[in-house]
Amino acid sequence: MTVYWNAPTRPHDVQKQIALLEKVVALHYRGIVLAPDETLALRTPIKHALATHIPIVVVGTELGIDPASNLSYVLNDEVAGGRLAARRLGLILNGQGAVAIVGLDPKLKSMTLRDRSFEDTLASEFPRIRVIARRPGQASAAQEQETTGELLQSGTSLEALVALSADATRGAYYALIESNRAGVIHLIGFDQDLLPPIRNGGLDSVVAQDTFEIGRLAISQIDGRLHGAQVPDKLIVQPKLLTRENIDSPEMREVLTAHWWEGQ
Amino acid sequence: MKQVTRSRTALLLMGACVVFTAMVAFLAWRLSSSRLDTPPAHTASLDRREDWTAYGGTWEAVDGVMRNNSDERGAKLMSGSANWKNYSVEADVQLLGQYGDAGLILRARNEEEGVDAYNGYFAGLRDLDDSVILGRADFGWREYQSVPVKPRVNAQSWYHLKFLAYECDFVVTATSLSGDITTAATRNQDCLQSGRFGLKSYATGALWRNVQVRPATRADEVAMIGPEPPPSAVAHDLAGGATSDTLDRDLEAIDRETKNHHFDPHAIPIGNLRLLAPGKLTQVTVHGIVTLTSPVLFIQDAGAGLAIVRRDARLPLEIGDEVEATGDLAPGDFSSVLKNASVRVLWSHSPVAPVSVTASQAASGNYDAMFIEIEGLLQQKEQGPNQSLVLTLSSGSQSFRAIVSGKGRTSFPWTLEEKSRLQLHGICVIDPAYTQNQTPFAVILPAIDDIEVVQRPPWWSTGHIVAGIIVLLLLVLAAQTIHGRLERMKLRAVFEERERLAHEIHDTLAQSFAGIGYQLQAIHDEVGNETELREHLDLATDLVRTSHDEARRSISALRSETVEKLGLLQALDECAARIANGGPIEVQLRNVGGGDPGSIPPRVADALFRIGQEAIANAVRHADASKMVISLLHQSTAWQLLIEDDGRGFPSGQDSANFGIRGMGKRAESIGAALDIRSSPGAGTSVQVTVPRVKRFIRSRWREYDRKVR
Repeated sequence: MTVYWNAPTRPHDVQKQIALLEKVVALHYRGIVLAPDETLALRTPIKHALATHIPIVVVGTELGIDPASNLSYVLNDEVAGGRLAARRLGLILNGQGAVAIVGLDPKLKSMTLRDRSFEDTLASEFPRIRVIARRPGQASAAQEQETTGELLQSGTSLEALVALSADATRGAYYALIESNRAGVIHLIGFDQDLLPPIRNGGLDSVVAQDTFEIGRLAISQIDGRLHGAQVPDKLIVQPKLLTRENIDSPEMREVLTAHWWEGQ
Repeated sequence: MKQVTRSRTALLLMGACVVFTAMVAFLAWRLSSSRLDTPPAHTASLDRREDWTAYGGTWEAVDGVMRNNSDERGAKLMSGSANWKNYSVEADVQLLGQYGDAGLILRARNEEEGVDAYNGYFAGLRDLDDSVILGRADFGWREYQSVPVKPRVNAQSWYHLKFLAYECDFVVTATSLSGDITTAATRNQDCLQSGRFGLKSYATGALWRNVQVRPATRADEVAMIGPEPPPSAVAHDLAGGATSDTLDRDLEAIDRETKNHHFDPHAIPIGNLRLLAPGKLTQVTVHGIVTLTSPVLFIQDAGAGLAIVRRDARLPLEIGDEVEATGDLAPGDFSSVLKNASVRVLWSHSPVAPVSVTASQAASGNYDAMFIEIEGLLQQKEQGPNQSLVLTLSSGSQSFRAIVSGKGRTSFPWTLEEKSRLQLHGICVIDPAYTQNQTPFAVILPAIDDIEVVQRPPWWSTGHIVAGIIVLLLLVLAAQTIHGRLERMKLRAVFEERERLAHEIHDTLAQSFAGIGYQLQAIHDEVGNETELREHLDLATDLVRTSHDEARRSISALRSETVEKLGLLQALDECAARIANGGPIEVQLRNVGGGDPGSIPPRVADALFRIGQEAIANAVRHADASKMVISLLHQSTAWQLLIEDDGRGFPSGQDSANFGIRGMGKRAESIGAALDIRSSPGAGTSVQVTVPRVKRFIRSRWREYDRKVR
């Protein structure tokens, strides 16, 4: 199996992603795995692609289009991710304190799911942990840094920060370093991008998507559809909490392995 | 004077010869260098943009330095031949940002716009972890080597990079300004054998200069890494920063990046600068994202844009950089200018999206110094000062100018046709320096690639309409001429048909009526002889019936069914018997050459029958012949009908104007045959018709030709 991999050169460039999708549809690839940059903007292009009967597996976030004969989903369990972050927070704060959420993005269903799960879990299991600030997600880590920096300079008393995306995690960490509060204010991030500070405690933990497994299942689904096998409409892959203690474990090394397509 | 003129002519001729020879040599070099598997040693011309193909990025060549102002994840600029195998590329490389990589590509093919979207090898400098990296892209990145640079990779410092490919060995050296050399090498089994070279940066802008390409040998490789083979390529499986080995380097780079973003929290929003006291210089600090770097620096925040005149322009800036600028504010009517400003990069990766406006909105002045997207019809294009291109566009009731630097280009990059609808991305300015007070505003474009042709000019321009009308008139004229010719041909065909019918009636009905008359005369002669009378009456009845049939056939098909049914010779024999009516005449039939009379085309057979019928009638009625020989000769190139009788004949020239003989001639002519009538008194008459077998002739020639060819 030959895999053509490509992505827009600018993050969140939905138009380029749509153009890439239309290109691979026109080139008659036998299957498409797509990680959408946005939920709403990709719906129509995906519907057009489905009309050509190419098997499509959407990974990462749901588009709101029901699974069909040639559309299925392999999703990260965002509810479990939010729960993991909340329970980790409850553990390191001993069930009490003030937390701010940064990186909220209503344009991605996965983001709203993880936020809702995180806050629901806090409310039900750790009622003495209060969410005292919420900040929207930005286009880059640098802008996330500015957002968190302003939050920290506003005098708000915080024990912890939860960053819902990779850029928000990086930006929040930069802001903590800049204000010399890294390790003092606990930071829990999402989506493995910034790894080194986990080892020195500047970043407490990251809720990591099992991208290795998501990629493997997506390709298996394409393969199954091409061979006429029944494939499930939706597969949910459990995320993993990446901490200083387990970062070198075999389980986590598999998650952090890059070239998942080699030897498939 | 004549001598001077001759000398000048000779000099001009010599000059033309030299130029022509140089052009031929250059073309030959270009052709050969693109086909050969080894590049000629040369310095790549960064100013000749037509030699390069960009895949993403914002590329600009200024004073021998190629600059990518974009911080895209993988902007590429490619050149060279896909056939090049063993060669090296050297260049001075400088990273502009703190968190990316930049370097050189070798042996690349299938390049596309996108992240790692090519098949090829890349080596470069990465300030993210202060290392020289070496790896392979196959629409996905495999990193084989990551070697630390001591003390580190500094942004905005030049490094000399040499990247060599020999067989399946790939070697890179990076030399800092202080002379420290860092080397990375790998041997890649099943390597890519050939491909183009290029420049690439990832997540940062970068500069390249002195790009040199040379053929590579084993000796060159040994000079870089010694005689030992490089280690086999093994891709690093773990994501960047996941291992503890590079922790210190990783954290240091993160720390640098973090400090780089420190900013003044008391900066004033750009839109609020208009509220400051007019008419006096005030020192202010602003934050904004760079939207244009040349010819003037422009930044923009969420509300407004600002032009900046820098105190020190040496710090390279790129579009998308978020900067902090402190300087003296010179308020303007619509927007301000920050003069004598110091500028510091806070972070990159944050390009501003253009605001889509109409020309009317832009003409209000509310978008002065803002990054806009605007459409207009191209009215005029001209060369401006400093190699710039100046376009004049219109939209609705407004017109505006667009200015873009043309440095590094020898001509217009593409054929921009007037009346094309263009979409432009650029900075809206109302400064008279750009508008010349001719238009309400102008748009300064960051790069030539910020012009997009939305719609080509409509086909119905005045010139096209005039041309279309002319073509239409010509077509009408041609149709009229053809129609007239057809009408004439039709008329001629009618006349010919009428004439043919006249001959037909003469040959059929007239002959039959003559026979009936002959029989009636015999009846008249035989009155009193009942038996003979009955016989003549029977014959007359037969003739009437035959005439009736002939008339019907002439009307319906205009050809004899007798010929069709019996064949030409038998039909002529029957015709002779009928005309002679038992008279003392002997008829002999000869089919010479073994051909089938039925194979004669119906039209030809019919004409031959009619000619033969006339000849027989003449022999029986006028020549008083006792013997007649009817021969049909099948030759390879012709058919020949010969009717000979032993009648009394006629002198040559006599009766030639007779309608029957003239009819025979007409019929012969209608089938392209030659008619030869020979007669002399007392020696009988011979009528010979020769019809060339045109089709068979052509067919046989074709067969002969076909045989020869095969």
